[in-house]
Amino acid sequence: MNFSMRRMNAIFQKDLKDLSKNMYVSTTLILPFILAIFYRKMDIISIETHFLIINLTFVAVTFFIQSAMIAEEKEKNTLRGLMLSPATLPEILGGKSLVSFLLTLVTLFLCVKILGYEPAQPTWIVLGMIISALFYLALGTLLGLLSRSVIEASVIMLPAMFIFGFGSFLELIIDKYPVLTFTTYLPNLQLIDLANKVESGAGIGSIWIHLAIIFAWFVVAAVITVIVFKKREMDD
Amino acid sequence: MENVIELKSLAKVFGNQTALEDVNFHVEKGETFGLLGPSGSGKTTTIKILTGQLTPTAGEAHVFNVPTSALNKGKYRKRFGVLTDNSGLYQRLSIHDNLKLYCKLYDLPLKRITEVLDMVNLANEGKKNVAKLSKGMIQRVILARAFLHEPELLFLDEPTSALDPTNAMHVYDGLRALKEKGTTIFLTTHNMSEAELLCDRVAFLHKGEIQLLDQPKTLRQQFSDASICLELKDGREIMLSGDATGAQKIYEYMAAGQVVSIHSNEPTLGDIFVKITGRELV
Repeated sequence: MNFSMRRMNAIFQKDLKDLSKNMYVSTTLILPFILAIFYRKMDIISIETHFLIINLTFVAVTFFIQSAMIAEEKEKNTLRGLMLSPATLPEILGGKSLVSFLLTLVTLFLCVKILGYEPAQPTWIVLGMIISALFYLALGTLLGLLSRSVIEASVIMLPAMFIFGFGSFLELIIDKYPVLTFTTYLPNLQLIDLANKVESGAGIGSIWIHLAIIFAWFVVAAVITVIVFKKREMDD
Repeated sequence: MENVIELKSLAKVFGNQTALEDVNFHVEKGETFGLLGPSGSGKTTTIKILTGQLTPTAGEAHVFNVPTSALNKGKYRKRFGVLTDNSGLYQRLSIHDNLKLYCKLYDLPLKRITEVLDMVNLANEGKKNVAKLSKGMIQRVILARAFLHEPELLFLDEPTSALDPTNAMHVYDGLRALKEKGTTIFLTTHNMSEAELLCDRVAFLHKGEIQLLDQPKTLRQQFSDASICLELKDGREIMLSGDATGAQKIYEYMAAGQVVSIHSNEPTLGDIFVKITGRELV
């Protein structure tokens, strides 16, 4: 399959310009900053609190903006235009994911700075965040492809927003309800486990499993997304 | 002559509804082919199959001598342009920015934007935001986008449905210019005068089946009753047969200096459609 950086960049540039004029998106971007500024005032900020903001950034910025962008392309019939152009699947999805990805990185960086979070081994945390961002991008794309409009995407994403955004609270109730133990495998909780182990000085031997689980989530989401995208190319 | 489009026994069924049934025709390179029919006759379904957006239920559909299922490859997508009812534009961007994206996707120089905007009579409107455009202007921008890469084959689904006569004429001029360059044009419309003006051949599609297919001129002759209409100075309009008796009558009226106008009574494509299907083209 051909891959053209020029075509991917064209879609990226278009989205960047389009998003800069999109009030819906810019208001969503503020959310993690408000929370970060609010929690900054606390005397001691736990890992769970840091990752409440970080996971919320993934949900509000990466997941939501990506799904809204894709859903809007579907709603306005512009996605079909891209599909009928010479742009290939990696160029379209790559170009469309790049804006959300960059916005995520900038928001995460600024929120972490506001909170004053300084992980013991930043490399593993950054790697975990990048894999998480890829997962939320794939999930956002999938939701956008499955929705008929931005409004529909916004409604469908509410349960996901709760599960992934406020996952830190899930840990509090898992002890009471053992049936929820499976939720510890969610990527947001895996990221918190990873951060806790990093803080306790654990090495790659015990943290690789968390990176692998988050990566597995990304692979599954990406495969389903590609299948759905291929189906959406047709009107059958 | 090389065929750009070839359909053999094509059928498309949605659930228990038959959209197309045993459709057969071909379109030659450089030809302007019109698929005419009322709403719901299967015109858009045909275009969607030909552009690889729908899979045929039965039969064969070939474009550029390859099955339409292979059209999703970039090398084929560069060879055709399409305007359908589901073509959209980015509302928050300007006309220029919308076309700029497609210039880059098709590896075209940005000066093409000025050329295509001129073709659709929007030369001075490039900076306008799409959200502020009228329906007719949006239609013209989508047309400009379809022209942008000067495709070998252009699919146009009701291209002038939202346009006023002046802008429709601009588009016709643009289509004629493309035809002169060798572009094959596949056009669906229920505007019979548009079809007469632009098409080398037309096919009448009704209830998913091709009812007639030929050159507009041949069809008019075929369905003509060979009568001649005379408008006389006293205000009367009389119909005469196109034989020796009619000719004698015409001579007599002309000799008496009573004739204001004389014209043959050929049916329009719309008349022919009504005659064979029993319904109007709306």
